[in-house]
Amino acid sequence: MVKFLKIIPIAVKTGTVTIKYPYQEPLVTDSFRGAIEIDPNKCVGCGACTRICPPKALTLTTESNTMILRYFVGRCIFCGMCADTCPEKAIKITKEFELATGNIYDLYSDVEHEVKTCSICGKTFTSKKLSNKIASKVPDIPTETMDLCPDCRRKETLKKFIGVPEQ
Amino acid sequence: MDSGEANMSGASMVSAHSTNIVGDAISKIMEFKDKVFSIEQRGGIVRIKIHRDILPHIVQRLAILKGIYLRTMMASDERGLEGVYRLYYVFGVDKEHTNLVFEVALPQEDPKVPTVVDINRASDWYELEAHDMLGVEFLNRKLYRLVLPEDWPEKVHPLKKEYSVSELLKLYRPKAVEYAKEIGAENIVTIPIGPYHPALHEPEFFELYVRGEKVIDARYMGFMVHRGIEKLGENMKYDQVPFLAERICGICGFVHSTSYCQAVENALDIDVPERALFIRSIILEIERIHSHLLWVGVALHLLGYDTGFMHSWRIRERVMILAELLTGSRKTYGINVVGGVRRDIDNDKIRKAIDVLNYVREEFKKLVEISINVPQVTARLRGTGVLPLGEAIALSLVGPTARGSGLDRDVRRDYPYAAYKYVSFRVPTYSEGDNLARTLVRVDETFESIDMLYQLLDKLPSGSIRNESWSVEPYRLGIGSVEAPRGEVIHVLLTGEYSPYRWRVRAPTYQNLPAIPIMLKGIDLADAPLTIASIDPCFSCTDRAIVVDVDRNTVKSIPIEALSLKGTRAIR
Repeated sequence: MVKFLKIIPIAVKTGTVTIKYPYQEPLVTDSFRGAIEIDPNKCVGCGACTRICPPKALTLTTESNTMILRYFVGRCIFCGMCADTCPEKAIKITKEFELATGNIYDLYSDVEHEVKTCSICGKTFTSKKLSNKIASKVPDIPTETMDLCPDCRRKETLKKFIGVPEQ
Repeated sequence: MDSGEANMSGASMVSAHSTNIVGDAISKIMEFKDKVFSIEQRGGIVRIKIHRDILPHIVQRLAILKGIYLRTMMASDERGLEGVYRLYYVFGVDKEHTNLVFEVALPQEDPKVPTVVDINRASDWYELEAHDMLGVEFLNRKLYRLVLPEDWPEKVHPLKKEYSVSELLKLYRPKAVEYAKEIGAENIVTIPIGPYHPALHEPEFFELYVRGEKVIDARYMGFMVHRGIEKLGENMKYDQVPFLAERICGICGFVHSTSYCQAVENALDIDVPERALFIRSIILEIERIHSHLLWVGVALHLLGYDTGFMHSWRIRERVMILAELLTGSRKTYGINVVGGVRRDIDNDKIRKAIDVLNYVREEFKKLVEISINVPQVTARLRGTGVLPLGEAIALSLVGPTARGSGLDRDVRRDYPYAAYKYVSFRVPTYSEGDNLARTLVRVDETFESIDMLYQLLDKLPSGSIRNESWSVEPYRLGIGSVEAPRGEVIHVLLTGEYSPYRWRVRAPTYQNLPAIPIMLKGIDLADAPLTIASIDPCFSCTDRAIVVDVDRNTVKSIPIEALSLKGTRAIR
């Protein structure tokens, strides 16, 4: 029984280990990865983050003329792969972990982009911002090509080479 | 087999260059040379293609040789490639750091193979699982459902390539749907309350047969929370799978992501920078310390000594914070990727890590003095739940469970990976095979891990932490294994074009659980909980319940927490 009693000096020396959250020092270290934050000014809507996101917490959808990059923190596993992948460095990993809410809509955040419509078929195909970005990086693409969706672009290029097919 | 002759010369070459046991095994196998199609060796793996008829004979021959054990078996649907189902029996030769992989092709129109369960008891679940998931027939044994639930549709074998995950979700109509329709309920939440409710400690169900206070026999029923992770992995990109793998276990997740990455690296011959290997070892050992401290706490709790439990977890908390500092997360660290790791460790972090290790070493020493070494505790542990060495060998047991019975087996030493070859460490083994032996193995290992971490942090080489220039070559086989806190984890992987073609996970509890009924036989009922806990079981679970919406005829899973949230709302 005597051996058990040795816990008393240990307990006295240790004292209280719990802290008065949230009034005392932060609970997390400097390396902690919490929820992400997407800078709508930097984001171009390329969708690279949605393709790497393991739990599919990031999704890219198009509703009428708006492209929506949606972040659902409820699915997020806080791995930060999106931030590693983002070519525009638009995603920041924050230390935010107090994410509980009574309203599920608080768990969604959207970044909206204007979409481009194809000048031939009228389909929406990419965000205006991404298109502009490409145009500025690769200056010799003709503007009319930039306005075409991938399908029409292929057809138009083919036409240039082999002429218009007879109906 | 026409090319038999040419391959045979290759086979004799392998045996000439190999050391004793592997060489012996191969010469025994060559007794059946008409039915051995090819033998090739690469990256610590000897692949031996054999005819299905000789499988039991081969397993019989291997059983006679000492030091060979069944590590895992992967069943794979390769009808799209070669019109066959293929079974990969992975046998480990500890002393020679080699895996013998026996590949048995089963024609798709007749996927039958003789059972080996009467020769190798460890193969029991592997066969049943292959039967459930792929419809492989094992002859001369009783086949029953192990993994799939009883209301799963007949003849739907989910790992067959023709089923996509979304199709499987449509095909599976839990009985609860029918019942809900019968009683005309609109929105039903089925809550399984019973011995294996997932929200209890672990979804385990043991039936104990007792006479008075003595346990006469025990039966285990499991696989309540099979999640089909292997199937999910087949639809994810190579760099996404580590994050899924890490979620196989909530306590030792890093071992799974490491194991997966190693399997891919092994299959594709990817060089991993040395610094990344060290970081993996560092995080793996930190994980072992926190896991063992957790286990010691739980064991003390089961013995009714909650003060010891609190103090064990107090010490563990510092390890958790350290893990977060080094990786960015307390658990599910998320830093493993194929080719290396994503987070580096700088000098400041090394300093802080050493502070924590000093603290943990001192405090844990004191805790052991006042808890495990006191007569009241040792009396409960000594002589209970005995597992003899012979049984440990027969069941191919792994980890502290095996080492507590004197079976000296440790992947870190036997199949070196990460940075373990650069450090010196002892593998604690005890021969008693009782609960005390298994406890002491874990206590000793904790100190060994601390010691190993000092060495790893000291020797951490400079350089890059990730090799990103690798490319995929489909249909290559890789094996990755890691010594998890509870025993070896082994992942077998067949590469595909964009995702793994087949990814087979085997966690240590899968191998160790069949030992529990043996341990339980003849003990006092009061010692049963601790004995079950003594293998440190981990049922790889997440809590899920099923919501049946009869109107819309949909079934979806919701987390159990969401259910309890509803309860809270109802009170409000």
